[in-house]
This record gives sequence, structure tokens and C-alpha cells, in this order.
Amino acid sequence: MFDYVLRRLLQLVPTFFGATLLAFLVIQLAPGDFVTRLELDPTQDRESIARLRQQLGLDQPLPVQYAKWLSGILQGYLGLSLSYKTDVWNVIGPRILNSMVLVVLATLMIYLIAIPIGVYSAIYKYTWPDRIFTVLAFLGLAIPNFFFGLIMLFLAVWLNDLTDMRLLPIGGMTNEFLHLGNMTRAAQVLFPFALLGALVYGGLFWWRARRRQAATFGIWLGLVLFGMSALLLLAPLLQGPSLPERLPYTESPLWARVTNVLWHAFPVVIVVGTSGLAGLMRVMRGQMLDVLSQDYIRTARAKGLSERVVIYKHALRNAVIPFIAGIGGLLPGLIGGAGLVEVVMAWPGITPALLEAISAIDVYVIMGLITITTVLLMIGNLLSDLLLAWVDPRIRYS
Amino acid sequence: MLALVGAALAQPKVFRGTEIGRPGGAYRVTAISDPRTWNPFVARETSSTDIIALFLPYLTAYDPYTQAPEGRLARSWEVRNNGLTVIFRLREGARWSDGQPITADDVIFSATVHADPQVNSNSRSSFILDGQPIRWTKVDQYTVRADFPKPYAPALIQGWYIVPRHIFEPAYRAGVQRLQTLWNLDTPPAQIVSGGPFRLESYVKGERVVLVRNPNYWGVDERNNPVAYLERYTVQIVPDLNAQLARFLAGDADTFAAANADQVAQVLERIRAGRLRAEIFPNVDVTLGTNFIVFNWNNKDPFKANLFRQVKFRRAMAHLMDKKSMIEVALGGLGQPQWSPISIPNKAFFTDDVPKYEFNPQRAQQLLAELGFRTRNRDGWLVNSEGRVLEFNLFTNQGNTVRERIAQIFRDEARKIGVKVEYRPIDFNELVRQLTSPAADGTREFDAILIGLTGGIEPAFSRNVWELDGSLHMWNLGVGGKRPANVEPFEVLIDNLMRRGATTLDQAQRRQIYVQFQRVVAENLPIIYTVAPAYNPARLTRLGGMFPREQINSIVGQAPYIETVFAKE
Repeated sequence: MFDYVLRRLLQLVPTFFGATLLAFLVIQLAPGDFVTRLELDPTQDRESIARLRQQLGLDQPLPVQYAKWLSGILQGYLGLSLSYKTDVWNVIGPRILNSMVLVVLATLMIYLIAIPIGVYSAIYKYTWPDRIFTVLAFLGLAIPNFFFGLIMLFLAVWLNDLTDMRLLPIGGMTNEFLHLGNMTRAAQVLFPFALLGALVYGGLFWWRARRRQAATFGIWLGLVLFGMSALLLLAPLLQGPSLPERLPYTESPLWARVTNVLWHAFPVVIVVGTSGLAGLMRVMRGQMLDVLSQDYIRTARAKGLSERVVIYKHALRNAVIPFIAGIGGLLPGLIGGAGLVEVVMAWPGITPALLEAISAIDVYVIMGLITITTVLLMIGNLLSDLLLAWVDPRIRYS
Repeated sequence: MLALVGAALAQPKVFRGTEIGRPGGAYRVTAISDPRTWNPFVARETSSTDIIALFLPYLTAYDPYTQAPEGRLARSWEVRNNGLTVIFRLREGARWSDGQPITADDVIFSATVHADPQVNSNSRSSFILDGQPIRWTKVDQYTVRADFPKPYAPALIQGWYIVPRHIFEPAYRAGVQRLQTLWNLDTPPAQIVSGGPFRLESYVKGERVVLVRNPNYWGVDERNNPVAYLERYTVQIVPDLNAQLARFLAGDADTFAAANADQVAQVLERIRAGRLRAEIFPNVDVTLGTNFIVFNWNNKDPFKANLFRQVKFRRAMAHLMDKKSMIEVALGGLGQPQWSPISIPNKAFFTDDVPKYEFNPQRAQQLLAELGFRTRNRDGWLVNSEGRVLEFNLFTNQGNTVRERIAQIFRDEARKIGVKVEYRPIDFNELVRQLTSPAADGTREFDAILIGLTGGIEPAFSRNVWELDGSLHMWNLGVGGKRPANVEPFEVLIDNLMRRGATTLDQAQRRQIYVQFQRVVAENLPIIYTVAPAYNPARLTRLGGMFPREQINSIVGQAPYIETVFAKE
């Protein structure tokens, strides 16, 4: 086992050099450089454009530029951003964190909803709920994310009009000022909805589960939702009455800042999560159907094991194996961010920064993001291989 | 006691707003991207300079009512030596937000750094005139003197930022690298010293920049109340135009510039429904930016190079511009046709009295026939007596939908009379490369390009386009900063006019020069202008101190000064 890990780690080295060199070449293959757009500015003269190129080192041959960048990387320095004149890490670091908020929440949402629904759909295939889930899944897959984001924005404007309250945010990640009183009121409005949602969700499983086993997931999920909304409601009460109604974000108490970010994240996570949710739901259903038709399940049932044990102990354990393999892809996904939705909904994540860097040809910001993604992808792959070995008895590395 | 003396000595600038306002309140705008730096020597894009302008002073600027120069940090100035010397007197008693006085030393130091070729400031062109430096010297603590190698008309518009010397000088001494990393986005806002109406309070990356009133600012209103009135100025970063609209519709942003008719309609609908207390002014002016087609006179193909040099050919192409359809289709019905190089909002120099080649395909056909293209071949394309097809390719930058549509309309009209136009959108940088980099023999690859330039208020700042050795003399570009090998008489005339315009000081004479310049360009069409997009500003009615409809223009914006904008509630 140790040998295997060591071998894999050693293999990462040439892969890393190859990947970054390739990325560097591809970026440089695009016409123009960071300074090109200045050439269309009538107030710029030739000398200052040439001098700028020289100052930024863009006039040097490509191998020299790559070597310089590489020597920085080996010392843990990602380079100097051409447009921000600061360490690349300062540019992308905060963005990565912001994106992670979205991706972690969306992943949680996807796993928490997709797996139970997939299992449910497989057990009760071709029933009405299954068909409804199928239609929803295809809808979720069919609507492009950025477009859904736009719809969500205008839905928010419309909903806020309708209720004359700030139920949903209009883009962004934080408010400049937090109206603490409003937040308590919003929590009061949201609380019954969350409660209702939890009850309906749990009840649905309860009602459909003839032998009660599928209901466990539903009730559990319902409890989580209920608990979350209760926290939202109670947190402000714990603070006591001494706080002013309106505070700048940076001076607000932690619970207010966290709930504010969560509030802003809510519609974005729904948008980001939908397509992933839809896909995963179908995969889970297929996996589960596949496993349920296996011989050992029939054997287990014939032996008189209870349906609960058959499904959750034997079938589910085998059905989730591909999901565990997918965890490797999750790490770079965390860095990759949530894509164009971030641009549309003004979430200060990675994608807006990356798009900006690409259109400005800010080489080192792009390279920095690629490097971090590459490293994480490699580590993630290694991790998922190890996890697979641990979960799947058919795989052994020693 | 000392403080009292200081106040008595202060010579504040009086900002004449549209009405007397009241202090307090916040102003919230949206920006499409993050600032890149707070350092004026590094800043190269408006996302940075728009914010820097709120906290760093400059000597002079344009009077928003007359567009003539007016003093800002400079209280007054005096032109001597037939315009070779300008003496600026600064406001005594002006102070930085950290309490230090703003003096001639700050101005001279800033000028020195801006002019330093190593620093490569974006404002450097304000410090050289035809290759010779402009000399800045200190006369006394509140007087600076600028000596020009020859009279320079834009001399009075010194839009470069003045920095506090006591902060920047140590870094400058430590080297250019140190200077360039000073005041970057990771600098704590409290360390950024202000000499303008606001000072930085906080910056959250990708989210917002917050500025607050600078209590040490040297501006007052007509009743001697201190300005700015506003307590806070917030720039929210919203990278998507539709999301910006949503913010405005929700009342979360105070101003918005609608990009097209659809957005105008959405704002109007919401105002009519009573859900938004705002005003919108569709098509109240056009933006400064231009869109034009330029033909390559240095074409690799001598036949094409010669063809594009024929003024009859260019006039024929101009007659094919269906500007009405372009406004309808490309600009959604809001915009104006443009005929000459000076932007329409630039009232001080713009003239409408220029030769116009209106949309007229028959006339275009006739002109092309005079150039020998009389018959059509089997495929329906115009050919000359040697059987050469009248064809060229037309590029524009990918992703700019307005330009893409303008190009398509032009291509379709050209095809109708048998001119074969191969239209293709390509990458912006590739476009710039083809346009600005001639081969060693002076030839360039492209045939025609549809592109634009951001116009400015001062015509002399576009000398790089019009003078023969300019780096953007794009229809007939010389190699290595030299004049092109073959020039037409009208190019020499334009070159001459531009040089005179920049060195004439009398405002009436300057206008005459630039009127003639516009006529020569419009007649000879080295650049064929298309249509200018509309400026459709909107604002919440809670704002006071804004321009009434008839005074709004795209150069100044919706309010004369940010200092005199205030919140009514």
C-alpha cells in the first residue's frame, strides 16, 4: 500500500510539469498579450507600450518566461499579477474561498437530495413520484445554468415586489449593511416554510414507504431542514437586545455575517445544484436498479432478511461506489467554482476573476488557477483511488 | 488658534451644483469590474481611475456646464510667453486627509514621477510634446510653473493625479518596483491618503468599494457649506449587465445606464407600475465611443491597395451604409448616425455641417462603375474589364454584438449591388495585431476592419490616429513609427490641421480648425463612420443635485459634480 502511494506521488511530478507547460503554451498561442489592448488607445505612444512590455517581461522568449515562472512555483510563489501588481495568490485566494462556499453547499444539497431520491426512484420505479422526479431531472439538465441564474434574479425581484419584503437577494455575496431586525423577521417568515418543507419531504417518504424503510431518509432530511431553520430563527435571539438595528457588514456579529452569506448563497446554490442534482439522481437510480437485480440481493431476500437490511446494508453500499470514485473530481471542482452563474449573480468567485484574467491575458493569474486545479485534481484522483480500495472489496493495491 | 488661522487661509473651490443640497446620505453605483490598483502611476483602466478620481486631486478639469477648463486644486492660472509658460496657483490651506498640507512640492513630485519613462505612467503623454519634455518647476509653496517647448492647447486640462509626496517619495527613491507595488489592492484602505472629496473606507474583493467623505476636502457649495454632501459613496461590483439592471430595478443602485431599448423598456415599465421611484432619459445623448470601417491602403495585394486608395471607392462604400437599419437592428432603435471623427456630445468642437454620403445603393453602383466595375459575372459579382471580382474581407471583433450586426447589415447591402464582402468576426487581439503591425515591407494582411475608438473630449488627444507618423494612422500605417511611404494630399492636410489644433490656444480658432478637420475627413473618408450608440441614463428620484434632462450629456454624466450630489431622503 505504502509503495503504491509513493509510486503515485512520484508520478505526479512529470504530470505536473507536462500539464503546466502545456497550459502555458496554450495561453501564449492566443494572439496578443496583456499590453495589446493598449495599442488601440490613441493616447498611448509606441515607446511607452514597448517599455511596458519590457517591464512586464513579455518581450522575453517563452522558455525564459516559463522557466522564471517555474522557479517561482517551486518556491511556492505563484507570480505577480500583471494587472493587479500584486501576488497572484492575493488575487485568487479570496475568490477560491468564496467559490468554495457555493460548491460545498451545492455538493451537500446534491448528495443529500439526489441519493435518497435515486434510491426511492429505484425501489418504486415507474410509480407517479418516480415519473415526476424523472421529468424534473430532465428539466434540470436541459436548462443552462447561467440562464437559470438570470431567471432566478428576476424571480427574486418579482417575489420581493409581491411580498414587499426582502425575501431573496438580488445578486452579490454580502450586504453593505445588515439590518438585524429584518433578518429576524425574515427568519420568522422562512421558518414556517422550512417546517412545511421538512414535513412534506419526510411525509412523502413515510407515505410511500410501505415497509417504512425508505422513510428513514425522509425523516432524517426533514429534521435537518427543520433544525437549520430553527437555528436561523433562534440565533439572533441568543444575542440579546443591545445590538443596533443596522450595522456595517464588517462590524456585525459572526452569526449575522454567516447567515447573510448563506442567505445570498441560497438562490445561487439552487441554481448551481439543480443540474448536478438531476444528473446524479439518474445515476443513483440506475446504480440502484442494477444492484437490486443482482443474484446476491435475491439470495438475501430468499434468506428472509428484512427489506431494510437488504436495501440499506447490501444494495446501497454497493450502489454508492461510483459516487465515492467521484469524490476525486470534487476537489478540483471546489477550485473550479460554479461557472457562469457566479458572473450572472455577481458572486465574487473564481469564474469572474478567471474570465477577467483571460480577457486581459493576465498570464500568471490564469496559470495560478490552472496550477492549483491541476494539483488538486491529481491529489483528488489519488484520494478517490484509495477510497475505492477501502470501500470496494474487489480492488486491492498491495 | 492655529486651526482658526488655517481655516481663514483656506481658499476653497466653490462647486456650483444644480441646487443647494444637504449633508448625509449614501450614493450607490454599480461597476462592471474590480479596480486593479489605487496607485495612479499604475492605473490603466477606468475601473481603477474612476475610483482614484474620487480621492486624488488634479490641477484642472472641464467645467461641466461650458466644457471650458476650470480650476480644481489650481485656484487660478496665468498664460505667459505667448502660451509657452503657464503658471498655476494652488489653493492655499488645502490639506490631505492625514492633515499634511497639499503644496507645490506634491504637484512637482507627482509631475516628475508621471513623466519618468521608467515608471511608465498612463498620463505620461501629458508631459511630452512632440518628443520634447514639458518642464515643471516650483515657484513657491503654492505656485508651480509649466514650460512648454511650444504652445500646447490641452495644457490647461491637466487630468493627471497628484499624490502625497510624503507617502510616495520614499518608495520612489527605493526604485520603480517599490513605487509600483505601493497602494495596491491589499493596502489597508486606512493607509490610503486622500486629497479629493472622498476617502477609501473599505474594499471587499469582487463585492464593493466603500468611500466616505473626506473631512479635509477643499470644496464648498455656493453658500460656503462644505462638500461633498454625501456621507458615503459605494461602488458595487456586478460583472453582468443584466444583474446590474436587476439591482437598479430593485432600488439597490442609484444610477444605471441602459444599454439597449429592451432595458429602457424594463425600467419604464417598472416606473409606470409604481414599483420604482426613478427617472429614465432614453436617447438623451450618444456615447463617446465610435464604430467605423477602415480599409487597408497597405494591402499585400497591390490591386486592392490601389482600389482602397480611390476616394470614389470609399464614397461608394459610405453610400452602402444603411445607418437607419443599423440603428434599428444593431442599436435597438436608440442611437444616432455619425458622419465625422469628433464625437457628437463634444459640443465645443463637433459640427454637423460636413459632407454626408447618405444611404444610396444606386449612387454607390454608379461610383463603382466609374472605377471600372460595370458588369457582373456568372455568380452575380461585379467585375472590371480584366474580370477581377470586386471583393474584400471584413473583420470585426468577436463578441461585440453591436459591431457584428453593423457589419452584417453592411455586407448584405454590399452584396445586393454585387460587391462580395466576406465578413468574419475574429479575436480582438488578433484584430489589433493585423491593424497595428505592418510587415517589414510596409504591407498588412487585412482588407477592411470594423472597429471603434473610445472618443474623448479633447481632439488633440487623438493625434496618434490622424498625424502621418501616428501609431494608429490605421488606414495607411507607416513602419516603425515613420510616415507611410505613399501619402495622399488630404492626409497631409489632416496632419497639418491636427498639429495646428494642438498648438493653437485661442478657443474660437481651435474650433475653426477642428471644423475644417471634420469636413476633410468626412469628405475623404479614410475612416467611414457608422452609428453611435445612445446614452440612456436612469436614476432614482431620491437623488438631488442632478442635471435636468436638457443638461445631461454623456461626457459629464447625470450630475455636474459628484461633490454636489445629495440624497433627498
